[in-house]
Amino acid sequence: MRDSINQIIDSLLGPLAGLIRSLQEWLSPILPEATWAAYLAFALYVLIILGGGFMAILARNLVRAMLGLVLAFLGVAGMYLLLNSPFLAFMQLLIYVGAICVLIFFAIMLTRNTAEGEEARFPSLPAIGYGLLAFIAPLLVCGPIIALHSGQIDVHVPLPSDTGVLGQGLLSAYVIPFELISIILLVAMAGAVYLGFRGFAPRKKGQSQ
Amino acid sequence: MTTLTFFLLAALLLLAIGLAGLITRRTLVGMLISVELMLNGAGLSIVAAAKSTAASDALGELATLFVMGLAAAEATLVLAMILVVQRRFGKILSEDVSLLR
Repeated sequence: MRDSINQIIDSLLGPLAGLIRSLQEWLSPILPEATWAAYLAFALYVLIILGGGFMAILARNLVRAMLGLVLAFLGVAGMYLLLNSPFLAFMQLLIYVGAICVLIFFAIMLTRNTAEGEEARFPSLPAIGYGLLAFIAPLLVCGPIIALHSGQIDVHVPLPSDTGVLGQGLLSAYVIPFELISIILLVAMAGAVYLGFRGFAPRKKGQSQ
Repeated sequence: MTTLTFFLLAALLLLAIGLAGLITRRTLVGMLISVELMLNGAGLSIVAAAKSTAASDALGELATLFVMGLAAAEATLVLAMILVVQRRFGKILSEDVSLLR
């Protein structure tokens, strides 16, 4: 186990490997190897999420912001893999990266909003202040609650989940939410097509679109 | 500090980043990107709480699947709205379309 981890670290990091190996030696009395690898992967995914998220909200070019969003989605998919639910990780890639990002790309491309668009200017000073406040407020309100109270819950290592159980749940216990989601998707698609087509019709006099 | 704490803090970071982006972004597309970040944090916290406590695993994963479906529907509708706003106003600045008429 430890040999394969060391090989991966060597091939990925090169010069940094020695530093990480000494950290691993230092931590090995406390944490077993598998746990250590899990913590390393978690830290990597958090870094990916942070980088992607800040790229998504700070980039002045909206296409770059969308690429940051893809990066954050990939980090969250890795978190799902760490939580031992690979089906959700693949759904994350399929729905978010595959569908929603394509929609956002259409929205960017259809609105002349790339490099010299309205987002190219920096936000005003009050907006930056409010943004900082909005970043700090959830951390200050929810962070202490999570840090203080979530340690009291009995936690076990996530067990591998059975996709068959998910399918049975969709067709037995949770069939009404499942059907409701289908109806919501149908209505949303129909509404989007209606909104999209209505604008192309020639506008008559006195009709307020 | 358990593993659940770390996952919940990561989800909280996604929420905070998305909220900051929602405030500072000037166009509707940028706000859509920030909302997607926040929805992702919600899904992550639901799955982490369901998988690592005594709660039902399938319930948490299905809830996150529903969140993903709702996010897809929401993104579709917002794309249509952005197209309409672009066609009527010529730009998609959120402060220009703050009046409902």
